[in-house]
Amino acid sequence: MNNPSASLPSVAAARPAARRLSDRFADWLPKIVLAPTVVITLVAVYGYMIWTALLSLTNSRILPVWKFTGTGQYAKLFENERWGVAVENLIIFGVLFILVCLVIGVLLAILLDQKIRAEGALRTIYLYPMAISFIVTGTAWKWLLNPGLGLEKTLHDWGFESFSFDWLVNPDMVVYCLVIAAVWQSSGFVMAMFLAGLRGIDPDMVKAAQLDGASMPKIYRRIVLPSLKPVFFSAFVILSHIAIKSFDLVMALTGGGPGYASDLPATFMYQHAFTRGQMGLGAASAIVMLGGVLAILVPYLYSELRGKKHG
Amino acid sequence: MLTLKQSRRLQTVLIATLAWLVALAIFFPIFWMILTSFKTEIDAFATPPQLFFTPTLENYVHIDERSDYFHFAWNSVVISFGSTLAGMLLAVPAAYSMAFFETKRTKSTLLWMLSTKMLPPVGVLVPIYLLFKDAGLLDTKTGLVIIYTLINLPIMVWMVYTYFKEIPKDILEAARLDGATPAQEIYRVLLPIGKGGLASTVLLSLILCWNEAFWSLNLTASSAAPLTAMVASYSSPEGLFWAKLSAVSTLACAPILIFGWLSQKQLVRGLSFGAVK
Repeated sequence: MNNPSASLPSVAAARPAARRLSDRFADWLPKIVLAPTVVITLVAVYGYMIWTALLSLTNSRILPVWKFTGTGQYAKLFENERWGVAVENLIIFGVLFILVCLVIGVLLAILLDQKIRAEGALRTIYLYPMAISFIVTGTAWKWLLNPGLGLEKTLHDWGFESFSFDWLVNPDMVVYCLVIAAVWQSSGFVMAMFLAGLRGIDPDMVKAAQLDGASMPKIYRRIVLPSLKPVFFSAFVILSHIAIKSFDLVMALTGGGPGYASDLPATFMYQHAFTRGQMGLGAASAIVMLGGVLAILVPYLYSELRGKKHG
Repeated sequence: MLTLKQSRRLQTVLIATLAWLVALAIFFPIFWMILTSFKTEIDAFATPPQLFFTPTLENYVHIDERSDYFHFAWNSVVISFGSTLAGMLLAVPAAYSMAFFETKRTKSTLLWMLSTKMLPPVGVLVPIYLLFKDAGLLDTKTGLVIIYTLINLPIMVWMVYTYFKEIPKDILEAARLDGATPAQEIYRVLLPIGKGGLASTVLLSLILCWNEAFWSLNLTASSAAPLTAMVASYSSPEGLFWAKLSAVSTLACAPILIFGWLSQKQLVRGLSFGAVK
Protein backbone atom coordinates (compact mmCIF):
# COMPACT_ATOMS: atom_id res chain seq x y z
CA MET A 1 0.00 0.00 0.00
CA ASN A 2 1.65 3.11 -1.27
CA ASN A 3 -0.22 5.96 0.29
CA PRO A 4 -0.20 8.97 -2.03
CA SER A 5 -1.11 11.42 0.71
CA ALA A 6 2.32 10.71 2.17
CA SER A 7 4.14 11.70 -1.01
CA LEU A 8 1.91 14.61 -2.04
CA PRO A 9 2.74 17.05 0.77
CA SER A 10 6.46 16.63 0.18
CA VAL A 11 5.93 17.78 -3.38
CA ALA A 12 3.73 20.63 -2.23
CA ALA A 13 6.24 21.74 0.39
CA ALA A 14 8.80 22.42 -2.29
CA ARG A 15 6.46 24.87 -3.97
CA PRO A 16 5.46 28.45 -3.17
CA ALA A 17 2.74 29.00 -0.60
CA ALA A 18 0.30 30.21 -3.24
CA ARG A 19 -0.10 26.66 -4.46
CA ARG A 20 -1.29 25.49 -1.08
CA LEU A 21 -4.96 26.27 -1.65
CA SER A 22 -5.19 24.30 -4.85
CA ASP A 23 -3.35 21.47 -3.16
CA ARG A 24 -5.87 21.47 -0.40
CA PHE A 25 -8.56 21.33 -3.05
CA ALA A 26 -6.76 18.39 -4.62
CA ASP A 27 -6.82 16.67 -1.25
CA TRP A 28 -10.55 17.15 -1.03
CA LEU A 29 -11.29 16.26 -4.61
CA PRO A 30 -11.33 12.50 -4.10
CA LYS A 31 -13.94 12.89 -1.41
CA ILE A 32 -16.00 15.23 -3.56
CA VAL A 33 -16.10 12.87 -6.52
CA LEU A 34 -16.86 9.93 -4.28
CA ALA A 35 -19.70 11.70 -2.53
CA PRO A 36 -22.47 11.31 -5.15
CA THR A 37 -22.05 7.55 -5.25
CA VAL A 38 -22.02 7.24 -1.48
CA VAL A 39 -25.01 9.50 -1.04
CA ILE A 40 -26.99 7.71 -3.74
CA THR A 41 -26.27 4.33 -2.19
CA LEU A 42 -27.09 5.64 1.24
CA VAL A 43 -30.45 7.08 0.23
CA ALA A 44 -31.35 4.27 -2.15
CA VAL A 45 -30.67 1.57 0.38
CA TYR A 46 -31.34 2.92 3.83
CA GLY A 47 -33.98 5.48 2.95
CA TYR A 48 -36.17 2.93 1.26
CA MET A 49 -35.43 0.26 3.82
CA ILE A 50 -36.69 2.51 6.59
CA TRP A 51 -39.72 3.37 4.50
CA THR A 52 -40.50 -0.31 4.04
CA ALA A 53 -39.96 -0.95 7.74
CA LEU A 54 -42.44 1.81 8.61
CA LEU A 55 -44.97 0.41 6.15
CA SER A 56 -44.67 -3.02 7.72
CA LEU A 57 -45.94 -1.53 10.99
CA THR A 58 -49.14 -0.30 9.38
CA ASN A 59 -52.30 -1.91 8.19
CA SER A 60 -51.80 -0.82 4.57
CA ARG A 61 -53.64 -2.78 1.97
CA ILE A 62 -53.73 -1.55 -1.63
CA LEU A 63 -52.51 1.94 -0.75
CA PRO A 64 -50.22 2.93 2.09
CA VAL A 65 -52.03 4.02 5.22
CA TRP A 66 -49.89 5.83 7.72
CA LYS A 67 -51.60 4.60 10.84
CA PHE A 68 -49.33 2.49 12.96
CA THR A 69 -50.78 -0.69 14.30
CA GLY A 70 -47.73 -2.31 15.82
CA THR A 71 -46.22 -5.63 14.88
CA GLY A 72 -49.44 -7.38 13.95
CA GLN A 73 -48.28 -7.92 10.38
CA TYR A 74 -45.25 -9.88 11.58
CA ALA A 75 -47.41 -12.15 13.71
CA LYS A 76 -49.64 -12.73 10.69
CA LEU A 77 -46.62 -13.41 8.53
CA PHE A 78 -45.22 -16.15 10.72
CA GLU A 79 -48.59 -17.83 10.98
CA ASN A 80 -48.85 -17.81 7.20
CA GLU A 81 -48.22 -21.27 5.82
CA ARG A 82 -47.33 -19.91 2.43
CA TRP A 83 -44.53 -17.87 3.94
CA GLY A 84 -43.12 -21.02 5.53
CA VAL A 85 -43.08 -22.73 2.14
CA ALA A 86 -41.34 -19.73 0.58
CA VAL A 87 -38.60 -19.62 3.20
CA GLU A 88 -38.04 -23.36 3.03
CA ASN A 89 -37.82 -23.14 -0.75
CA LEU A 90 -35.25 -20.38 -0.57
CA ILE A 91 -33.08 -22.47 1.76
CA ILE A 92 -33.28 -25.57 -0.45
CA PHE A 93 -32.80 -23.54 -3.60
CA GLY A 94 -29.98 -21.41 -2.23
CA VAL A 95 -27.94 -24.25 -0.77
CA LEU A 96 -28.30 -26.60 -3.73
CA PHE A 97 -27.82 -23.88 -6.30
CA ILE A 98 -24.61 -22.60 -4.73
CA LEU A 99 -23.16 -26.06 -4.09
CA VAL A 100 -23.93 -27.52 -7.51
CA CYS A 101 -22.72 -24.36 -9.29
CA LEU A 102 -19.43 -24.46 -7.40
CA VAL A 103 -18.85 -28.15 -8.14
CA ILE A 104 -19.72 -27.91 -11.83
CA GLY A 105 -17.84 -24.63 -12.16
CA VAL A 106 -14.64 -26.10 -10.71
CA LEU A 107 -14.88 -29.21 -12.88
CA LEU A 108 -15.47 -27.15 -16.04
CA ALA A 109 -12.57 -24.87 -15.18
CA ILE A 110 -10.22 -27.83 -14.69
CA LEU A 111 -11.46 -29.26 -17.98
CA LEU A 112 -10.81 -26.02 -19.85
CA ASP A 113 -7.43 -25.63 -18.20
CA GLN A 114 -6.10 -28.67 -20.10
CA LYS A 115 -4.83 -26.54 -23.00
CA ILE A 116 -7.68 -27.22 -25.38
CA ARG A 117 -7.71 -25.73 -28.84
CA ALA A 118 -10.40 -23.07 -29.40
CA GLU A 119 -10.58 -22.44 -25.69
CA GLY A 120 -11.85 -18.92 -26.33
CA ALA A 121 -14.90 -20.15 -28.21
CA LEU A 122 -15.65 -22.80 -25.58
CA ARG A 123 -15.33 -20.26 -22.82
CA THR A 124 -17.81 -17.97 -24.55
CA ILE A 125 -20.31 -20.78 -25.05
CA TYR A 126 -20.02 -21.83 -21.40
CA LEU A 127 -20.71 -18.24 -20.41
CA TYR A 128 -23.55 -17.63 -22.83
CA PRO A 129 -26.34 -18.62 -20.44
CA MET A 130 -25.11 -15.95 -18.04
CA ALA A 131 -25.62 -13.33 -20.75
CA ILE A 132 -29.26 -14.27 -21.16
CA SER A 133 -32.14 -12.87 -19.19
CA PHE A 134 -33.67 -15.09 -16.53
CA ILE A 135 -36.96 -14.52 -18.29
CA VAL A 136 -35.62 -16.22 -21.41
CA THR A 137 -33.97 -18.98 -19.38
CA GLY A 138 -37.30 -19.63 -17.73
CA THR A 139 -39.00 -19.90 -21.08
CA ALA A 140 -36.45 -22.28 -22.57
CA TRP A 141 -36.47 -24.56 -19.55
CA LYS A 142 -40.23 -24.48 -19.20
CA TRP A 143 -40.30 -26.25 -22.52
CA LEU A 144 -37.58 -28.78 -21.70
CA LEU A 145 -39.01 -29.66 -18.30
CA ASN A 146 -42.65 -29.73 -19.33
CA PRO A 147 -43.85 -33.35 -19.08
CA GLY A 148 -46.08 -33.04 -22.13
CA LEU A 149 -43.43 -31.47 -24.34
CA GLY A 150 -39.78 -31.70 -23.49
CA LEU A 151 -37.56 -34.41 -22.07
CA GLU A 152 -40.30 -36.73 -20.88
CA LYS A 153 -42.22 -36.68 -24.14
CA THR A 154 -39.07 -37.13 -26.21
CA LEU A 155 -38.04 -40.18 -24.23
CA HIS A 156 -41.54 -41.62 -24.43
CA ASP A 157 -41.49 -41.17 -28.18
CA TRP A 158 -38.21 -43.02 -28.32
CA GLY A 159 -39.77 -45.96 -26.54
CA PHE A 160 -38.87 -45.37 -22.91
CA GLU A 161 -42.49 -45.51 -21.79
CA SER A 162 -41.75 -45.82 -18.10
CA PHE A 163 -39.56 -42.71 -18.00
CA SER A 164 -41.20 -40.11 -15.85
CA PHE A 165 -40.06 -36.57 -15.26
CA ASP A 166 -42.85 -34.43 -13.94
CA TRP A 167 -40.94 -32.23 -11.53
CA LEU A 168 -42.30 -29.05 -13.04
CA VAL A 169 -45.87 -29.94 -12.05
CA ASN A 170 -45.03 -31.87 -8.92
CA PRO A 171 -45.34 -29.62 -5.84
CA ASP A 172 -42.66 -31.58 -3.98
CA MET A 173 -40.10 -31.42 -6.75
CA VAL A 174 -40.75 -28.13 -8.49
CA VAL A 175 -38.12 -26.27 -6.50
CA TYR A 176 -35.47 -28.55 -8.02
CA CYS A 177 -36.54 -27.34 -11.45
CA LEU A 178 -35.59 -23.86 -10.34
CA VAL A 179 -32.23 -25.23 -9.24
CA ILE A 180 -31.62 -26.92 -12.61
CA ALA A 181 -32.37 -23.81 -14.62
CA ALA A 182 -30.41 -21.53 -12.31
CA VAL A 183 -27.40 -23.85 -12.31
CA TRP A 184 -27.47 -23.95 -16.08
CA GLN A 185 -27.41 -20.19 -16.13
CA SER A 186 -24.67 -19.56 -13.61
CA SER A 187 -22.20 -22.44 -13.65
CA GLY A 188 -20.38 -21.05 -16.68
CA PHE A 189 -19.76 -17.90 -14.74
CA VAL A 190 -18.29 -19.86 -11.83
CA MET A 191 -16.15 -21.69 -14.36
CA ALA A 192 -14.77 -18.39 -15.64
CA MET A 193 -13.83 -17.24 -12.16
CA PHE A 194 -12.07 -20.50 -11.33
CA LEU A 195 -10.34 -20.61 -14.68
CA ALA A 196 -8.88 -17.20 -13.91
CA GLY A 197 -7.81 -18.52 -10.53
CA LEU A 198 -6.18 -21.61 -12.02
CA ARG A 199 -4.21 -19.45 -14.43
CA GLY A 200 -2.84 -17.53 -11.48
CA ILE A 201 -1.30 -20.62 -9.88
CA ASP A 202 2.45 -20.98 -10.10
CA PRO A 203 3.08 -23.85 -12.54
CA ASP A 204 6.41 -24.63 -10.82
CA MET A 205 4.53 -25.64 -7.70
CA VAL A 206 2.52 -28.19 -9.66
CA LYS A 207 5.63 -29.42 -11.45
CA ALA A 208 7.48 -29.90 -8.19
CA ALA A 209 4.62 -31.97 -6.81
CA GLN A 210 4.58 -34.02 -10.00
CA LEU A 211 8.29 -34.73 -9.64
CA ASP A 212 7.62 -35.93 -6.11
CA GLY A 213 5.32 -38.50 -7.66
CA ALA A 214 1.97 -37.05 -6.62
CA SER A 215 -0.95 -38.07 -8.83
CA MET A 216 -2.99 -35.44 -10.66
CA PRO A 217 -6.16 -35.80 -8.52
CA LYS A 218 -4.01 -35.49 -5.42
CA ILE A 219 -2.27 -32.39 -6.74
CA TYR A 220 -5.62 -30.76 -7.40
CA ARG A 221 -6.98 -31.69 -4.01
CA ARG A 222 -3.94 -30.78 -1.97
CA ILE A 223 -2.36 -27.88 -3.83
CA VAL A 224 -4.56 -26.35 -6.50
CA LEU A 225 -7.95 -26.17 -4.84
CA PRO A 226 -6.72 -24.85 -1.47
CA SER A 227 -4.94 -22.00 -3.21
CA LEU A 228 -8.23 -21.07 -4.90
CA LYS A 229 -9.88 -20.20 -1.61
CA PRO A 230 -10.35 -16.50 -2.43
CA VAL A 231 -12.08 -17.50 -5.67
CA PHE A 232 -14.44 -19.77 -3.75
CA PHE A 233 -15.23 -16.81 -1.58
CA SER A 234 -16.01 -14.37 -4.42
CA ALA A 235 -18.02 -17.00 -6.26
CA PHE A 236 -19.98 -17.71 -3.10
CA VAL A 237 -20.76 -14.06 -2.59
CA ILE A 238 -21.99 -13.52 -6.12
CA LEU A 239 -23.95 -16.78 -6.22
CA SER A 240 -25.75 -16.02 -2.98
CA HIS A 241 -26.59 -12.62 -4.38
CA ILE A 242 -28.11 -14.31 -7.44
CA ALA A 243 -30.01 -16.79 -5.25
CA ILE A 244 -31.51 -14.07 -3.08
CA LYS A 245 -32.71 -11.98 -5.95
CA SER A 246 -34.13 -14.89 -7.97
CA PHE A 247 -37.47 -13.44 -8.76
CA ASP A 248 -37.66 -13.30 -12.52
CA LEU A 249 -36.64 -16.94 -12.93
CA VAL A 250 -39.48 -18.14 -10.72
CA MET A 251 -41.94 -15.87 -12.46
CA ALA A 252 -40.93 -17.13 -15.90
CA LEU A 253 -40.44 -20.81 -15.08
CA THR A 254 -43.19 -21.69 -12.63
CA GLY A 255 -44.99 -18.49 -11.69
CA GLY A 256 -44.66 -19.73 -8.12
CA GLY A 257 -46.79 -22.76 -8.88
CA PRO A 258 -48.19 -25.32 -8.89
CA GLY A 259 -50.30 -23.58 -6.31
CA TYR A 260 -47.65 -21.81 -4.30
CA ALA A 261 -45.23 -24.75 -4.12
CA SER A 262 -42.33 -22.90 -5.73
CA ASP A 263 -42.80 -19.55 -4.05
CA LEU A 264 -39.68 -17.78 -2.88
CA PRO A 265 -39.79 -14.92 -0.36
CA ALA A 266 -39.36 -12.48 -3.24
CA THR A 267 -42.40 -13.78 -5.11
CA PHE A 268 -44.36 -14.01 -1.86
CA MET A 269 -43.67 -10.39 -1.16
CA TYR A 270 -44.57 -9.36 -4.67
CA GLN A 271 -47.83 -11.30 -4.65
CA HIS A 272 -48.98 -9.84 -1.37
CA ALA A 273 -47.90 -6.27 -1.88
CA PHE A 274 -49.10 -5.90 -5.43
CA THR A 275 -51.62 -8.45 -6.57
CA ARG A 276 -53.38 -9.35 -3.33
CA GLY A 277 -53.59 -5.89 -1.82
CA GLN A 278 -51.73 -6.73 1.39
CA MET A 279 -49.05 -4.08 1.33
CA GLY A 280 -48.41 -4.19 5.07
CA LEU A 281 -47.86 -7.93 5.06
CA GLY A 282 -45.67 -7.69 1.98
CA ALA A 283 -43.55 -5.01 3.61
CA ALA A 284 -43.21 -7.15 6.73
CA SER A 285 -41.98 -10.08 4.65
CA ALA A 286 -39.48 -7.81 2.90
CA ILE A 287 -38.12 -6.66 6.24
CA VAL A 288 -37.79 -10.23 7.51
CA MET A 289 -35.91 -11.08 4.32
CA LEU A 290 -33.60 -8.12 4.71
CA GLY A 291 -33.02 -9.06 8.31
CA GLY A 292 -32.18 -12.63 7.35
CA VAL A 293 -29.69 -11.54 4.74
CA LEU A 294 -28.09 -9.03 7.07
CA ALA A 295 -27.81 -11.58 9.85
CA ILE A 296 -26.25 -14.32 7.75
CA LEU A 297 -24.34 -12.78 4.88
CA VAL A 298 -22.98 -9.46 5.95
CA PRO A 299 -21.02 -10.68 8.99
CA TYR A 300 -19.50 -13.36 6.80
CA LEU A 301 -18.57 -10.81 4.16
CA TYR A 302 -16.89 -8.54 6.62
CA SER A 303 -15.01 -11.22 8.51
CA GLU A 304 -13.67 -12.70 5.27
CA LEU A 305 -12.61 -9.45 3.71
CA ARG A 306 -11.38 -7.68 6.81
CA GLY A 307 -8.99 -10.53 7.48
CA LYS A 308 -7.52 -10.31 4.02
CA LYS A 309 -4.45 -8.14 3.67
CA HIS A 310 -4.40 -7.20 0.05
CA GLY A 311 -5.03 -4.09 -1.98
CA MET B 1 0.04 -51.12 -26.60
CA LEU B 2 0.00 -47.42 -27.24
CA THR B 3 3.20 -45.51 -27.13
CA LEU B 4 3.44 -42.66 -24.66
CA LYS B 5 3.02 -40.12 -27.43
CA GLN B 6 -0.04 -41.86 -28.80
CA SER B 7 -1.70 -42.12 -25.44
CA ARG B 8 -1.07 -38.44 -24.79
CA ARG B 9 -2.62 -37.55 -28.13
CA LEU B 10 -5.58 -39.78 -27.34
CA GLN B 11 -5.96 -37.98 -24.04
CA THR B 12 -5.96 -34.59 -25.77
CA VAL B 13 -8.64 -35.74 -28.18
CA LEU B 14 -10.75 -37.17 -25.39
CA ILE B 15 -10.55 -33.98 -23.36
CA ALA B 16 -11.40 -31.83 -26.37
CA THR B 17 -14.35 -34.09 -27.19
CA LEU B 18 -15.60 -33.89 -23.64
CA ALA B 19 -15.26 -30.10 -23.62
CA TRP B 20 -17.25 -29.79 -26.83
CA LEU B 21 -19.92 -32.21 -25.60
CA VAL B 22 -20.34 -30.04 -22.53
CA ALA B 23 -20.54 -26.96 -24.74
CA LEU B 24 -23.20 -28.69 -26.81
CA ALA B 25 -25.20 -29.58 -23.71
CA ILE B 26 -24.96 -26.03 -22.42
CA PHE B 27 -25.92 -24.51 -25.72
CA PHE B 28 -28.73 -26.97 -26.38
CA PRO B 29 -31.59 -25.07 -24.70
CA ILE B 30 -30.67 -21.91 -26.61
CA PHE B 31 -30.26 -23.83 -29.84
CA TRP B 32 -33.59 -25.56 -29.40
CA MET B 33 -35.32 -22.29 -28.65
CA ILE B 34 -33.96 -20.71 -31.82
CA LEU B 35 -34.91 -23.80 -33.82
CA THR B 36 -38.45 -23.85 -32.43
CA SER B 37 -38.90 -20.21 -33.31
CA PHE B 38 -38.71 -21.14 -37.00
CA LYS B 39 -41.29 -23.92 -36.73
CA THR B 40 -45.03 -23.76 -37.14
CA GLU B 41 -46.98 -24.30 -33.93
CA ILE B 42 -47.83 -27.78 -35.16
CA ASP B 43 -44.21 -28.67 -35.90
CA ALA B 44 -43.24 -27.39 -32.48
CA PHE B 45 -45.43 -30.07 -30.93
CA ALA B 46 -44.45 -32.81 -33.39
CA THR B 47 -43.59 -36.30 -32.13
CA PRO B 48 -40.75 -37.02 -32.06
CA PRO B 49 -39.30 -33.48 -31.92
CA GLN B 50 -38.00 -32.62 -35.34
CA LEU B 51 -34.52 -31.48 -36.11
CA PHE B 52 -35.32 -31.11 -39.79
CA PHE B 53 -38.40 -29.25 -40.91
CA THR B 54 -39.52 -26.54 -43.32
CA PRO B 55 -38.53 -23.28 -41.63
CA THR B 56 -41.12 -20.56 -41.47
CA LEU B 57 -41.07 -16.93 -40.48
CA GLU B 58 -44.73 -16.84 -39.51
CA ASN B 59 -43.99 -16.52 -35.80
CA TYR B 60 -41.88 -13.47 -36.36
CA VAL B 61 -44.49 -11.92 -38.62
CA HIS B 62 -47.12 -12.61 -36.00
CA ILE B 63 -45.04 -10.98 -33.26
CA ASP B 64 -44.43 -7.94 -35.38
CA GLU B 65 -48.16 -7.60 -36.00
CA ARG B 66 -49.15 -8.10 -32.42
CA SER B 67 -46.62 -6.10 -30.54
CA ASP B 68 -44.20 -3.96 -32.48
CA TYR B 69 -40.84 -5.51 -31.63
CA PHE B 70 -38.90 -2.40 -32.48
CA HIS B 71 -40.78 -0.34 -29.92
CA PHE B 72 -39.64 -2.67 -27.14
CA ALA B 73 -36.17 -3.11 -28.60
CA TRP B 74 -35.72 0.65 -28.80
CA ASN B 75 -36.78 0.97 -25.17
CA SER B 76 -34.23 -1.68 -24.21
CA VAL B 77 -31.50 0.11 -26.14
CA VAL B 78 -32.27 3.55 -24.70
CA ILE B 79 -32.57 2.27 -21.14
CA SER B 80 -29.44 0.10 -21.28
CA PHE B 81 -27.23 2.75 -22.83
CA GLY B 82 -28.68 5.57 -20.75
CA SER B 83 -28.17 3.76 -17.50
CA THR B 84 -24.69 2.54 -18.49
CA LEU B 85 -23.65 6.07 -19.36
CA ALA B 86 -25.01 7.47 -16.11
CA GLY B 87 -23.44 4.64 -14.17
CA MET B 88 -20.01 5.16 -15.70
CA LEU B 89 -20.15 8.91 -15.07
CA LEU B 90 -20.65 8.19 -11.39
CA ALA B 91 -18.54 5.06 -11.07
CA VAL B 92 -15.34 6.20 -12.78
CA PRO B 93 -14.72 9.23 -10.52
CA ALA B 94 -15.70 7.20 -7.45
CA ALA B 95 -13.37 4.36 -8.37
CA TYR B 96 -10.63 6.85 -9.23
CA SER B 97 -10.92 8.36 -5.82
CA MET B 98 -10.89 4.99 -4.08
CA ALA B 99 -8.07 3.48 -6.07
CA PHE B 100 -5.63 6.39 -6.00
CA PHE B 101 -6.48 8.28 -2.84
CA GLU B 102 -6.89 5.43 -0.49
CA THR B 103 -7.69 6.27 3.10
CA LYS B 104 -8.31 4.08 6.10
CA ARG B 105 -11.98 3.97 5.32
CA THR B 106 -11.78 3.21 1.58
CA LYS B 107 -11.93 -0.53 1.99
CA SER B 108 -14.93 -0.34 4.31
CA THR B 109 -16.74 2.05 2.00
CA LEU B 110 -16.26 -0.30 -0.91
CA LEU B 111 -17.36 -3.29 1.13
CA TRP B 112 -20.39 -1.47 2.36
CA MET B 113 -21.38 -0.52 -1.18
CA LEU B 114 -20.99 -4.11 -2.32
CA SER B 115 -22.89 -5.44 0.66
CA THR B 116 -25.92 -3.40 -0.39
CA LYS B 117 -26.04 -5.57 -3.52
CA MET B 118 -26.72 -8.51 -1.23
CA LEU B 119 -30.04 -7.07 -0.15
CA PRO B 120 -33.05 -8.37 -2.03
CA PRO B 121 -34.57 -5.71 -4.30
CA VAL B 122 -38.09 -6.59 -3.19
CA GLY B 123 -37.21 -4.94 0.10
CA VAL B 124 -37.38 -1.54 -1.53
CA LEU B 125 -39.95 -2.24 -4.21
CA VAL B 126 -42.97 -0.80 -2.41
CA PRO B 127 -41.47 2.60 -1.55
CA ILE B 128 -39.93 2.98 -4.98
CA TYR B 129 -43.20 2.08 -6.63
CA LEU B 130 -45.04 4.66 -4.55
CA LEU B 131 -42.39 7.29 -5.13
CA PHE B 132 -42.41 6.66 -8.86
CA LYS B 133 -46.17 6.94 -8.92
CA ASP B 134 -46.09 10.31 -7.20
CA ALA B 135 -43.24 11.58 -9.33
CA GLY B 136 -44.88 10.43 -12.55
CA LEU B 137 -41.97 8.12 -13.31
CA LEU B 138 -43.99 4.92 -13.64
CA ASP B 139 -43.74 3.48 -17.12
CA THR B 140 -41.13 5.99 -18.25
CA LYS B 141 -37.69 5.25 -19.65
CA THR B 142 -36.20 7.86 -17.33
CA GLY B 143 -37.55 5.96 -14.35
CA LEU B 144 -35.93 2.71 -15.41
CA VAL B 145 -32.65 4.44 -16.22
CA ILE B 146 -32.58 5.83 -12.69
CA ILE B 147 -33.37 2.47 -11.10
CA TYR B 148 -30.89 0.49 -13.19
CA THR B 149 -28.17 3.00 -12.48
CA LEU B 150 -28.85 2.69 -8.78
CA ILE B 151 -28.79 -1.08 -8.69
CA ASN B 152 -25.72 -1.54 -10.88
CA LEU B 153 -23.62 1.24 -9.43
CA PRO B 154 -21.92 -0.79 -6.66
CA ILE B 155 -20.80 -3.49 -9.09
CA MET B 156 -19.55 -0.94 -11.58
CA VAL B 157 -17.59 0.97 -8.95
CA TRP B 158 -16.07 -2.26 -7.75
CA MET B 159 -15.05 -3.41 -11.22
CA VAL B 160 -13.57 -0.09 -12.28
CA TYR B 161 -11.79 0.04 -8.93
CA THR B 162 -10.11 -3.32 -9.50
CA TYR B 163 -8.98 -2.20 -12.97
CA PHE B 164 -7.65 1.10 -11.67
CA LYS B 165 -5.80 -0.76 -8.93
CA GLU B 166 -3.75 -2.50 -11.57
CA ILE B 167 -2.46 0.76 -13.00
CA PRO B 168 0.87 1.68 -11.44
CA LYS B 169 0.65 4.83 -9.34
CA ASP B 170 3.96 6.10 -10.70
CA ILE B 171 2.32 6.92 -14.02
CA LEU B 172 -0.17 9.19 -12.32
CA GLU B 173 2.47 10.82 -10.20
CA ALA B 174 4.55 11.53 -13.25
CA ALA B 175 1.55 13.17 -14.90
CA ARG B 176 0.90 15.18 -11.77
CA LEU B 177 4.46 16.42 -11.63
CA ASP B 178 4.08 17.52 -15.23
CA GLY B 179 1.22 19.71 -14.04
CA ALA B 180 -1.79 17.64 -15.08
CA THR B 181 -5.06 18.54 -13.39
CA PRO B 182 -7.15 15.69 -11.92
CA ALA B 183 -9.57 15.88 -14.83
CA GLN B 184 -6.67 15.61 -17.26
CA GLU B 185 -5.33 12.70 -15.25
CA ILE B 186 -8.58 10.84 -15.73
CA TYR B 187 -9.16 11.66 -19.38
CA ARG B 188 -5.59 11.63 -20.67
CA VAL B 189 -3.97 8.92 -18.58
CA LEU B 190 -6.40 6.63 -16.81
CA LEU B 191 -9.08 6.16 -19.43
CA PRO B 192 -6.66 5.27 -22.25
CA ILE B 193 -4.78 2.78 -20.07
CA GLY B 194 -7.87 1.26 -18.51
CA LYS B 195 -9.75 1.06 -21.82
CA GLY B 196 -10.05 -2.74 -21.88
CA GLY B 197 -11.30 -2.96 -18.34
CA LEU B 198 -13.72 -0.11 -18.79
CA ALA B 199 -15.06 -1.68 -21.97
CA SER B 200 -15.88 -4.87 -20.13
CA THR B 201 -17.52 -2.90 -17.35
CA VAL B 202 -19.65 -1.14 -19.94
CA LEU B 203 -20.54 -4.44 -21.56
CA LEU B 204 -21.45 -6.01 -18.23
CA SER B 205 -23.66 -3.06 -17.37
CA LEU B 206 -25.34 -3.20 -20.77
CA ILE B 207 -26.06 -6.90 -20.35
CA LEU B 208 -27.35 -6.52 -16.81
CA CYS B 209 -29.67 -3.71 -17.89
CA TRP B 210 -30.78 -5.52 -21.01
CA ASN B 211 -31.71 -8.62 -19.02
CA GLU B 212 -33.17 -6.96 -15.97
CA ALA B 213 -36.71 -8.16 -15.45
CA PHE B 214 -37.67 -7.50 -11.87
CA TRP B 215 -37.96 -3.73 -12.07
CA SER B 216 -39.04 -3.57 -15.67
CA LEU B 217 -41.97 -5.89 -14.97
CA ASN B 218 -43.02 -3.97 -11.90
CA LEU B 219 -42.49 -0.40 -13.01
CA THR B 220 -43.56 -0.39 -16.64
CA ALA B 221 -46.79 -1.10 -18.45
CA SER B 222 -46.34 -0.58 -22.15
CA SER B 223 -44.89 2.71 -23.29
CA ALA B 224 -41.49 2.22 -21.62
CA ALA B 225 -41.51 -1.58 -21.42
CA PRO B 226 -38.26 -3.20 -22.58
CA LEU B 227 -37.87 -6.59 -24.27
CA THR B 228 -37.91 -8.59 -21.06
CA ALA B 229 -41.39 -7.28 -20.35
CA MET B 230 -42.43 -8.19 -23.86
CA VAL B 231 -41.25 -11.78 -23.38
CA ALA B 232 -43.08 -11.97 -20.09
CA SER B 233 -46.27 -10.75 -21.73
CA TYR B 234 -46.11 -13.72 -24.10
CA SER B 235 -45.56 -16.38 -21.49
CA SER B 236 -49.03 -16.50 -20.05
CA PRO B 237 -49.76 -19.92 -18.64
CA GLU B 238 -52.95 -20.57 -20.60
CA GLY B 239 -51.75 -19.75 -24.10
CA LEU B 240 -49.03 -22.27 -24.82
CA PHE B 241 -47.80 -21.01 -28.13
CA TRP B 242 -44.33 -22.44 -27.94
CA ALA B 243 -43.16 -21.41 -31.35
CA LYS B 244 -44.19 -17.81 -30.79
CA LEU B 245 -42.79 -17.76 -27.29
CA SER B 246 -39.52 -19.09 -28.64
CA ALA B 247 -39.48 -16.47 -31.35
CA VAL B 248 -40.02 -13.69 -28.83
CA SER B 249 -37.29 -15.04 -26.58
CA THR B 250 -34.93 -15.40 -29.49
CA LEU B 251 -35.54 -11.81 -30.50
CA ALA B 252 -34.90 -10.68 -26.95
CA CYS B 253 -31.54 -12.36 -26.56
CA ALA B 254 -30.28 -12.34 -30.15
CA PRO B 255 -28.54 -8.94 -29.87
CA ILE B 256 -26.59 -10.12 -26.84
CA LEU B 257 -25.64 -13.45 -28.37
CA ILE B 258 -24.41 -11.76 -31.53
CA PHE B 259 -22.54 -8.85 -29.95
CA GLY B 260 -21.21 -11.17 -27.30
CA TRP B 261 -19.72 -13.44 -29.91
CA LEU B 262 -18.13 -10.49 -31.71
CA SER B 263 -16.55 -9.18 -28.54
CA GLN B 264 -15.77 -12.45 -26.79
CA LYS B 265 -12.86 -11.11 -24.83
CA GLN B 266 -14.87 -8.28 -23.27
CA LEU B 267 -17.85 -10.55 -22.73
CA VAL B 268 -15.88 -13.12 -20.78
CA ARG B 269 -14.06 -10.44 -18.85
CA GLY B 270 -17.22 -8.52 -18.05
CA LEU B 271 -19.42 -11.47 -17.19
CA SER B 272 -16.81 -12.89 -14.86
CA PHE B 273 -16.90 -9.49 -13.12
CA GLY B 274 -13.33 -8.84 -14.15
CA ALA B 275 -11.90 -12.14 -12.90
CA VAL B 276 -10.76 -13.29 -16.36
CA LYS B 277 -8.21 -10.89 -17.72
